[in-house]
Amino acid sequence: MRRQLSHEIQNLLDRGRDRQLRLAVTGLSRAGKTAFLTSLVNQLRHAGIDARLDLMKAARESRLLGAQRLSQPDLGVPRFPYDEAMQALATTPPHWPEPTRGISELRLQLRYRSARSRGPFGDKGTLTLDLIDYPGEWLLDLPLLAHDFLSWSQAQFAAMGDERRRFAADWLQALSEHDASDSVDESRLASLSERYASTLRQAREAGFSHLQPGRFLLPGELQGAPVLQFFPLPGLDESDRERLAALPGDSLYQTLASRFRYYQQHVVKPFYREHFRRFDRQIVLVDVLGALNAGPERFEDLSLALSTLMRSFDYGKRSLLNRLFAPRIDRLAIAATKADHVTPDQHANLTTLLETLLAEPLRDLRYADVPVRAFSLAAIRATEAREVAHDGRQQPALRGHDLEGAPLLIYPGDVPRRVPDAAFWQRQGFTFTAFRPPQSDAVALPHIRMDAAMEWLMGDKLR
Amino acid sequence: MTDPRPGRRFTIEEKEAPAPGVDALRGAYTYEPAQISRPLDEVEAADEGELAAAIAPPRKRRWGLFLMLAASLGLGTLEAGQTLYAATLGGDWLAGAWSAVGLLALGLGGKAVLGELWRLRKLRRHARLRQRIDETWVQEDDTTTGADAMTLADALRGQMGLSRSHPHWQSFEQAHEAHHTATETRELIVHHLLLPRDRAARQLITRMAGETAVMVAVSPLTLVDMSLMAWRNIAMLDRIAGLYGLELGYASRLRLFRDVLRNMVFAGASEIVSDAGMDLLSMNLAAKLSTRAGQGLGAGLLTARLGLRAMRTIRPIAFRAEEQPRLSDLRQEIWQQLRQVDEASQTR
Repeated sequence: MRRQLSHEIQNLLDRGRDRQLRLAVTGLSRAGKTAFLTSLVNQLRHAGIDARLDLMKAARESRLLGAQRLSQPDLGVPRFPYDEAMQALATTPPHWPEPTRGISELRLQLRYRSARSRGPFGDKGTLTLDLIDYPGEWLLDLPLLAHDFLSWSQAQFAAMGDERRRFAADWLQALSEHDASDSVDESRLASLSERYASTLRQAREAGFSHLQPGRFLLPGELQGAPVLQFFPLPGLDESDRERLAALPGDSLYQTLASRFRYYQQHVVKPFYREHFRRFDRQIVLVDVLGALNAGPERFEDLSLALSTLMRSFDYGKRSLLNRLFAPRIDRLAIAATKADHVTPDQHANLTTLLETLLAEPLRDLRYADVPVRAFSLAAIRATEAREVAHDGRQQPALRGHDLEGAPLLIYPGDVPRRVPDAAFWQRQGFTFTAFRPPQSDAVALPHIRMDAAMEWLMGDKLR
Repeated sequence: MTDPRPGRRFTIEEKEAPAPGVDALRGAYTYEPAQISRPLDEVEAADEGELAAAIAPPRKRRWGLFLMLAASLGLGTLEAGQTLYAATLGGDWLAGAWSAVGLLALGLGGKAVLGELWRLRKLRRHARLRQRIDETWVQEDDTTTGADAMTLADALRGQMGLSRSHPHWQSFEQAHEAHHTATETRELIVHHLLLPRDRAARQLITRMAGETAVMVAVSPLTLVDMSLMAWRNIAMLDRIAGLYGLELGYASRLRLFRDVLRNMVFAGASEIVSDAGMDLLSMNLAAKLSTRAGQGLGAGLLTARLGLRAMRTIRPIAFRAEEQPRLSDLRQEIWQQLRQVDEASQTR
């Protein structure tokens, strides 16, 4: 008890002195969150020794002394599996770290020499960095908090494109036997929910990202619980609200609505409250290349998912008071990950495309006067940029290994500056190859622009 | 005197001249979508070069002077050569020796003139490079690719007179990667190539300003003060230019000095106010010590300001607003030096 209290006081002191940062690493599943966090920890651990962090001011001026993992504040949450991830990269052949299945936390303490040598606390400064990793699927539940069952159902069906509807046909067929006012028994409800969950899974396999509720894809400890047995109802209209509300408690609509409410209150809200409300900085990771590979409908879908998602965070300027009691995100980075999968001359296009993808939330952020910067980065760089003489000209190319381990020397293709029209996908499309991670030994992981992102996210605290 | 014109009646049928504008209203017209159309010509913004030329003082090309110099050099060489030839034929050794001396003098003069021209050209090239860097590197959008940035960086290295094996360039090359954008390259090059030189330049300015302050404070004659200051300031300018890899000849020094002075004279009012306010205050403070110390401090601050301006003018990549060295950083140090002199004089 006493230990916890002193912990709290220390936290409060650190926050008051602005020596603590909670970094939100946001991204849908497969956007590269785990790789980003692994690389971040790795770079900071190796800072000042062999990590190349030239775009980070404190590291460039060799003021950054390194970082240490501390015991995390919340003892009930597993620790971020950094060692396991590094292990995955060090085996032969190396493979990417396992996708995240549950929530985990990590607290890092950075030590640096202050640029102004005369400070009240000597010239050595420390900065505590709190990092959280979680499955990207769960993140999509956050926008759910703004809905009730009726509006959620409507939104779900409105967001379904043709392709999504094809996956859902089977489930809709089964559902058409029931009316909102019917009373449906428990086992039937379970089987319907299972079918709905399977449409979500199919859609994810096909590359869609705007899939709610997230726990249906990755239930965690809730596997099989009735709280995960609900689904949106088709054909509901705002004008029916009163009629529906008057239905008896055991009707299909009422059962689903109450389960939806329970899901909101007992699954999403605690997750949001405990892990997502108190952030100071945020980086949004987006796998733009994956979305380009997948096609136009999925690209739209990703854009929609990201813009609804970013509404769940608080943005704005910080002051001492809200730093202590209601932290807000006062600086944001958006990053197109896996930039090592295209040649360096395409990076500018990648960044531009990312900005178009996030155009809607970026306008809101601009309005809130929150500084945003777009990056193209690769947390763990899997390829090497080369030049090849081809057709009598020097052409850029990438060298690496594909996922099976076969060596590759390819030019992966251009990245468009703007979202191409659907016809282009029909005609040509994109095929960006996936690469295997590099064999890691004891040295710092190679990266692209991690240093620039780190400078943007915490450089101002390391002065 | 002509008669006033008689009245005239118009008939209704008579064709009225259309009011301008009515006829100009054209109906809608649909073109074939496939028809070739071309974008409208954009109204060109006023040429930057023209604007600069309009602001800058008129540039006089002294062709006459140039021609005269070239002609006298050429004719002199011809004459001396002829005399030498005739002397060797005729055995008039004295005349021959004199003309040989003349030839040597002409050669030296020609070399000096060429050297001056060369250095002037280098200064001009320096200014051009600086402008190019400004245009491509300072803007935030990352349209310039890394390769372009690297060519520019290499040009900068050449201009600064660094070899490829210079440690600063080596460390820059190590830090630089193919995917770095222009802005990122700029950041790295500023850190690796320019910051060490900035630091040296600042130290130089502080030292020179401090010494000038002390010298003026202790020198007994105003005339000596003035010449001392002029001499020291020019020497400082030379050394700052040398730090950034610029070798100055007579003409280029003059031109640079003029640029620096012009920059100083036309510095923004706000900057002058903020600087001058503190300057006055510290001079008043120094004058409390003694009048001479006040004068010395004034002279020192002037030198420091000149040095900082020169630094800003010469540095191959222009300072960003937040990177600029400020006079206030130097003021304290100059003041310290003066204090030491004063204390030394008190104790004696």
